[in-house]
Amino acid sequence: MDRLASLIRMAAQLPIFVSCIALFFLMAMTFCDVVLRSTINAPIEAATELTRMSIAVVVFSVMPSMSFKGGHISVDLLDGLFEKINMIRWRDAAMSLICGVMLYWPASRVVVLAKRAQSYGDTTEYLNWPVFYLSWFIAIMTFATMVALILRGLALMFAPKYVEAAR
Amino acid sequence: MTESLIGFAAVLFLVLLRMPIAFAMGLVGMVGFMFETSFRGSISMVARLMIDASQDYGLSVVPLFVLMGLFVNKGGISRELYQVSNAFLGHFRGGLAMATIVACGGFAAISGSSLATAATMSKVAMPEMRKYGYADSLSTASIAAGGTLGILIPPSVILVIYGLLTETSIGKLFIAGIIPGFIGILFYLIAVKYSVMRNPAAGPAGPRSTGAQRISALKGVWAVLLLFFLVIGGLYGALDFWPIHLAFSPTEAAGMGAAGAFLIALLRGGLTFSGTFEVLRETSITTASLFSVLIGAWIFSNFVNVAGLPEALRGAVTAYDVAPWVVMTFIIAIYIVLGCIFESLSMLLLTVPIFFPLVAGEGGLGFDPVWFGIIVVVVTEISLITPPVGLNVFVLKGVVGDVSTATVFKGVTPFWIMDILRLALLLAIPALALFLPSQMGG
Repeated sequence: MDRLASLIRMAAQLPIFVSCIALFFLMAMTFCDVVLRSTINAPIEAATELTRMSIAVVVFSVMPSMSFKGGHISVDLLDGLFEKINMIRWRDAAMSLICGVMLYWPASRVVVLAKRAQSYGDTTEYLNWPVFYLSWFIAIMTFATMVALILRGLALMFAPKYVEAAR
Repeated sequence: MTESLIGFAAVLFLVLLRMPIAFAMGLVGMVGFMFETSFRGSISMVARLMIDASQDYGLSVVPLFVLMGLFVNKGGISRELYQVSNAFLGHFRGGLAMATIVACGGFAAISGSSLATAATMSKVAMPEMRKYGYADSLSTASIAAGGTLGILIPPSVILVIYGLLTETSIGKLFIAGIIPGFIGILFYLIAVKYSVMRNPAAGPAGPRSTGAQRISALKGVWAVLLLFFLVIGGLYGALDFWPIHLAFSPTEAAGMGAAGAFLIALLRGGLTFSGTFEVLRETSITTASLFSVLIGAWIFSNFVNVAGLPEALRGAVTAYDVAPWVVMTFIIAIYIVLGCIFESLSMLLLTVPIFFPLVAGEGGLGFDPVWFGIIVVVVTEISLITPPVGLNVFVLKGVVGDVSTATVFKGVTPFWIMDILRLALLLAIPALALFLPSQMGG
């Protein structure tokens, strides 16, 4: 079990690394675009397209790992009350499970939209890259987020040490 | 209208049960939209929003400004901003607290987040103030209040999101935040002065710096001042060095700011490979959490729009012939109450789609959208130091540890009163926010 957990932890690092590269690329490309446009009037034509893609990669790459670690913004106003009745872990588990399950329907729909984009053969304007790659990426990462949230809920109920270790 | 109110109550209930705010708004929005339309329509709306929002060009400004703040912070600039403020103000009674306020203002000029400003400055300013025997109430309050400037002085993540939600020029919003931001600094300095007048032992005077020490302190911050002028000057379209004319869109300004901050941190030797990775990782996580809240809020806002809440509110205001200032006072009161419960961004996302059409939209009460944006942000700032939630106070408590929240809230009172005065001033004289944007082209 511990070996599986450390394998999952290692695997979770890969999308974070991808996200960091996409973010650094976004920064460097915007800088180059402005400098090239302002000095020799030669902007990067596909900058807008690349920006849009990078931002989606940044957002969805970290979503599963962030969700498992409980990194979403939440309000802890009633934590004291739940602590008194020793229910914090059960409440968090329930919330994670509800959030995970609710993601199933939108994620399935994103798959439908990705399949549709693939069948239509939609491509981006400048680079002519197929649109469905990104749609599939979003669909897969949304499903991964769903799994991460459900695992978090189950881990909080039956093996809270794994959630603690992931933080 | 009833459906929307039930929706609000449901969001509040789930949020208090500590469901992540993004999911609470998303779930209630999805279910509400389903009742108003159909199951398929609701799921399609959510899926489409997830795809579109995550590829929104305008939103790319968010991670880039977050990145800029983190890179500059990594370069150790917060300490130097504090040192330079201290060199000029430290010898006054309460001078270290004043220096904290000014340094917070300076940090706000490169960071778009109030929480980041408070967390960073507390690490730098708190030990120094303790060393000179400052009362905990004054030192923590000056950091908590000074930190709120982060979301008003440009760049500001909250103003970016307000601009995107309401299709208001982000450049104009940034420029409009400058004068109210400076008034904020000035008023907070008065609050410090008042605090030490009441209790001189709370903020003893420090040693006076020599001219040489002041000049040497200034040398540490020139690069950051240059970066601020590059970003804001480029947004204003005022950087004309023939043959180069620099005029940026908000995304470009953010990209230039982030790249400039990266270079500054690199040249100052504060950045290793692992340090860079850490900054990028932290920015990605912050971006993902902001985007999830944004997507959740858009889903919820689609539900309240379909349920007809904005029209119902507009109809009620017209039917009862309510004076615009009464409506504005009511909205501000709602913000202050909500600010006691909600995190600032979520509060903005939840309320702006409802109030904006009423206040500044077509057929609304005719207030200026840029001015309303600044008012919303100033009220949000107030909520950051208002009990019982006052997020900045809790961030500070998390960093400092051995100070009770009651002590911080007690010290914050004069700052809170000055904030209310500033709000009243901005309500009475809209030109304070609108003068600079009116001088911009476009």
